[in-house]
Amino acid sequence: MYRRDLLKTTLAGAALGAFGPASRALAATDILWMTWENLAKDDYLAPFLAANDVSLTKTFIGTDDEQFAKLRAGGANSVDLITPGLDKVEFYTASDLLQPIDFDKVPNASLLYDTFKKTQLGKVNGETYGIPFYWGINPIVYRADLMDEEPDWSVFFEGDKYNGKLAMRDYALEGIMIAAMYLGIPESEMFDLDDAQLAEVKRVLMIQKSKLRTYWNSIGDLTNLFATGEVVCAFSWVPPYYDLRAKGIDMGMAKPKEGVIGWCDTIAVPKGVQGERLDATFKLVDYLLGPEYGKMLALGGPYAQSTSAARDMLSDEEQEKIFIKDLSIMDSFVWKKNPPRYNDWVALWNEVKAS
Amino acid sequence: MAVLPGRIGNWLSLPVVAALFALCVAPLLILFAYSFFQVDFVAISREPTFANYAKIAGSETYRNLIARAFGSAMLVVAITAIIGYPVAWFIAKRVTTAKSTLLTLLLVPLYSGDLVRVFAWRVLLGAEGAINRTLMWLGVTTEPLAGLLFSPLATHIALTYNYLPFMVIGLWLAFESLDDAWIEAAADLGAPAVDRFRRVTLPLTVPGLIAGGLMVFVMVAGDYLTPQLLGGASGVTIISAVNDLFGTAFDWPLGSAIAWTMLAILMFCFGAGALAIRRATLVSDGA
Repeated sequence: MYRRDLLKTTLAGAALGAFGPASRALAATDILWMTWENLAKDDYLAPFLAANDVSLTKTFIGTDDEQFAKLRAGGANSVDLITPGLDKVEFYTASDLLQPIDFDKVPNASLLYDTFKKTQLGKVNGETYGIPFYWGINPIVYRADLMDEEPDWSVFFEGDKYNGKLAMRDYALEGIMIAAMYLGIPESEMFDLDDAQLAEVKRVLMIQKSKLRTYWNSIGDLTNLFATGEVVCAFSWVPPYYDLRAKGIDMGMAKPKEGVIGWCDTIAVPKGVQGERLDATFKLVDYLLGPEYGKMLALGGPYAQSTSAARDMLSDEEQEKIFIKDLSIMDSFVWKKNPPRYNDWVALWNEVKAS
Repeated sequence: MAVLPGRIGNWLSLPVVAALFALCVAPLLILFAYSFFQVDFVAISREPTFANYAKIAGSETYRNLIARAFGSAMLVVAITAIIGYPVAWFIAKRVTTAKSTLLTLLLVPLYSGDLVRVFAWRVLLGAEGAINRTLMWLGVTTEPLAGLLFSPLATHIALTYNYLPFMVIGLWLAFESLDDAWIEAAADLGAPAVDRFRRVTLPLTVPGLIAGGLMVFVMVAGDYLTPQLLGGASGVTIISAVNDLFGTAFDWPLGSAIAWTMLAILMFCFGAGALAIRRATLVSDGA
């Protein structure tokens, strides 16, 4: 190939590269969704993209805090939809990063479960800024073949039978909530712990630390620890229970009577989104709360949507799996909230870990 | 080869200097400014204050974590120096044909990712790992040694493994530039082997020891993944605490202050190291 031919080919390639995205942008409104990878699988979103003249760019987050840090550092202008935890929406509204949800454009929101309709989390002055999207529980997961009985929170604080075989998530909020539940501190006081209560929490967390094999940071890592028998019982997320049962390991899942930590993620729209992009974003929000997406999330997650849109499309077993067969279970949940003294909580958590 | 006139060379280096300033120095300066601010929920108050530095000085937790980071780094420097010194000597002075092959082999572990190395160590050190199985098979122990994994021992074994090549390379360069005539002269003058090592070889290879040691020191002090994944319940580090402050607690000012405290100590170590290298070089030049 002569140099001139090479130059022509290169220029043609560059031109195609430059006009490719532009032509796609002309054909569709492109919206960018910052979310967890497991919520934005291609097959979950395919029906929405097929039915609407919209293209979707996904950017994945590793933690809720990372998402907030990105937006707080100036990333809000480039994102159309985010996925903050229900307890974290307050961070975004206090930073003036969100716009209220326009419920006229989200008809599926009328199907929200009562718990989510009534919650004051995600709202400011009666307006909703983070609309509950999907939810679940963080239970105790354990190796039923290696433990004699179903554990409760006390397994992390009492006795020595499982010393060095336990794991706790490395997360101040949940770690301190569990200690508070173990100590019998009522939910009404749990997020406003005074100095004396924090001191008592620290005392039991020091005991807990002496019993732990490790603090876990990734659910994949915890699953490995269960599989190899390094850990027999952990405050966990649900996936290791199903993943390891599917591999033939006898796993158990305990929901302690003192309370189970419930979590809920929301979808929220950054303040700068407007015009066609805003309309397209609300269409996506409505789809995410609708039956097609809900069913795929229930079967593929398995996670429950915050609306009842897909509930009747699921078998009893499938409903049971995502805790929506008997909705009264939500009454025993302790929903995560943002404590006003959260910096003190984080400092305390680090003191315990560093001790 | 033509040499560029000084002025043109200066202008050509300008983009590099500008990029270094924009991408490296400026973010550090922003971090430095933040270290004097305060946080109120999610708002950053820009009233300058030393409160964050006072909090670090007054906090036993942060003081201990910083001391632990540097203590751990010193320990790994010492272990890698003890292991790396004879290895570097062997490659530089005894290997003639396969020198580059050996050096490449030394770097092979670095081609795999951090996580791969960590999980490989878990396979070796775990309750069902190769070491525990072998010990039980030999009858040395009746049950797996829990302390092999998720312990400071596991952390330091992995850190040593991870950073040994950096020490060896620093020392290898020093040995390569060591003129054997000095050692032969000392032997001719009747110096016994121990004295030849203590008074000739060691002083002449100190610059390599310091250069390698500084590299290992900095990397160990800043490594939080290895302690987190292999250190078990005691695997917290000052870097993971900074991570918590920037992420979970949204306390960027305190996180910045800790980061700058670490940086200041590291810069002091680098300064002391550079001074020591300079003095060692002067001594060897004068020898």
